[in-house]
Amino acid sequence: MANKGQQNAQVFDTDDPDRIQDIGWTAREVWRRSRGFVVTSINIMTFFILWEIVTIYGNINPLFLPKASDMFVELYVGLTTRAPEGAVFSGSILDHFLHSFSNLMFGLSIAILIGVPGGLLMGGNKYIEAILSPYVWALASLPRIALVPLFILFLGFTTTMQVTIIVISAVFPIMINAWAGVKTTEKSLLAAARVFGANRRQLYVKVVLPYTLPFIISGIQQGIGRGLIGVVIAELFGGSNGLGYLVQRSADTFNTAMNFAVLLLLIVMSLSLINFTRWLEAYVAPWRSANHL
Amino acid sequence: MASKDGPIIVAKDLTISYELHRERKKLTALQDINLEVQPGEFVVLVGPSGCGKTSFINAISGLVPKETGSVKVRDEEVTGPGPDRAMVFQDYALLPWRTVESNVRMPFEFQDLGVSEAEKNKRVQECLELVDLNGFEKSFPYELSGGMKQRVGIARALITHPDILLADEPFAAIDAMTREAMQGEMERIVMETGQTCVFITHSIDEAILLGDRVVVISYRPGKVKEIVDINFPRPRMSNSEVKTSGEYAQIRDHIWKLVKDEASQTNRGE
Repeated sequence: MANKGQQNAQVFDTDDPDRIQDIGWTAREVWRRSRGFVVTSINIMTFFILWEIVTIYGNINPLFLPKASDMFVELYVGLTTRAPEGAVFSGSILDHFLHSFSNLMFGLSIAILIGVPGGLLMGGNKYIEAILSPYVWALASLPRIALVPLFILFLGFTTTMQVTIIVISAVFPIMINAWAGVKTTEKSLLAAARVFGANRRQLYVKVVLPYTLPFIISGIQQGIGRGLIGVVIAELFGGSNGLGYLVQRSADTFNTAMNFAVLLLLIVMSLSLINFTRWLEAYVAPWRSANHL
Repeated sequence: MASKDGPIIVAKDLTISYELHRERKKLTALQDINLEVQPGEFVVLVGPSGCGKTSFINAISGLVPKETGSVKVRDEEVTGPGPDRAMVFQDYALLPWRTVESNVRMPFEFQDLGVSEAEKNKRVQECLELVDLNGFEKSFPYELSGGMKQRVGIARALITHPDILLADEPFAAIDAMTREAMQGEMERIVMETGQTCVFITHSIDEAILLGDRVVVISYRPGKVKEIVDINFPRPRMSNSEVKTSGEYAQIRDHIWKLVKDEASQTNRGE
C-alpha cells in the first residue's frame, strides 16, 4: 500500500486488508454466539415441563388449564388431519389455519399494492399529500374493529368481508411508513445526487426509493401485526372458518386444550412472519442494523 | 482542459437570501459578493457559522438559486448543476446501499458524458488509487471509517474530471489525526490533477495549509471581509518548516483576528 503520496496518510489506515488475520474459533467464542439460542430453548422447555408438572400434580380443572401435553396433542392431531369431504364445519386446525393464512397473505398483498404506491405518491407530491392525508389519518386513527359491523352489513359473513378487514387493518401502517420514508430521505443524499447530475426521475428511482425500502418493510412488519388482529376479529365476528372462529368454537365447546393449541399456533405464526420481515430488513438495509452495533 | 485566460469562476454582486417561512421574513445569507477564482487556484473560505459560506458554494454548484447578481463559470451563468463542477460533502453523502465502486461510479450513471464503459472502469480504478482505496471496491460505506468514507466522496467527485472541485467542510467530522492525513491527501490530489478548488473550513490552519488565497467572510449578511494571499511553496503538509515559520504565525494571527471579530457577533446572538 506504500505507493505515492504522504506517508502519514498510511499510518492511520487500520482497515488495510493485509492486516486482517484469521484468529480461528475458541470454545468461548462458540458459546458466546450460541448461548442466546441455547438459553431460550432451555427456558421454553422448562416452561412447558413446569406447566405439565403443575397440571398433573396440582389438581387443576382442565377447563381452566389443560395439560401442556394435551395442548400439543390437539395441535398435532389438528395439524395432521383434514375435515372429510362435504363436512359443514371442520374441527381440523389445519383447515382453519390454511383459511386464515391464505386470507392474511391475500389481504397483505392487496394492502401492499395499495399502501406502497399510495405512500410514495403522498411523499412525492404535496397536492396528493394534502388531498389524501386527512382521510389517511382519519382511517388510521379509527379503531378498525369499529368497522367490522359495517363490513358485515355490506359484504355478509364472507371471505371477502374477512379479507377486506385485513386490508383495512394492514394498509395504513404500510402507507404511512412509505410516506415517512420519502419525506425523511436525507437532504445531503438528494443534494449529492443533484450535484452529480440526477434528474427528477433518477432522484426518485435511485435515491428516494432505495432509501424508503427499509421503511416500507417495517411498515409491512407493522401491517402483519395489524393484519393478524384483523384476521382474528373478522373470524370471531362473522364466519365459520379460520383460526378466529376456532378460538371461539373451542371455547364454546369447553375444549380448552384446543383453544390453547390455536393460541400457540397464532403466536408461532405471528413471530415467524415478523422475524422474516426483520431478516428481510437486515438483508436489504444492512447499514441500518450496523449503526446499532 | 481549462482555458488559461481569465478567471474560471466569477461571482458578481451575488446576493442569496432565504425565506423564513414561519415569520414571513427574509434572511440575507450573502450580500454583494464579488470574487474571481483563477483556473488551478485553491480558494479557501473561512468565517463564523451561519455566515453564508455554504450558500456561496451551493450557488456555484447550482443547488441554490441566487437572488440578485451573477455567478459565472467559464463565462456562463450557473443555472443548475453540471459535470464541470463536483462537490465533496461534510457528511460524505454516500448512498449507503451501494458499494464503494458503485458510489464512485454514480456521476456516470446520472448523466451521459459520452465516456465509454472501458474508460469508466479505468477511471474508477484511477480515482480509487488516487485516494488509496483500491481493494475496497466491494465494501459498503458503513463498513468504512470516517476518513475512508470521505476518500470515497473525493474519488466520486474526481471521476468525471471536473474543472472545479467544491468542498464544504469535508474534514469537519473527521478526528484530528486522520484529518491531518486527509489534508495532505487533498493537497497532493489537487496538485496532481491541477483542479480548481473552492474549499470551506472552520479551521484556520487548514485554510492556510491548503489555500492559495483565504477569503474571510463576515457574519450576516455575509460579505467578503478580506482576502489573504498565502505564498508558501507546495507541498506544505509534509514540510514542517511551513508550520513553524514566523510568517505562518503572522498570517494565522491575522486571520484569527478577522474571524474572531465576526465570531463575537455570532455570540451576541444576532
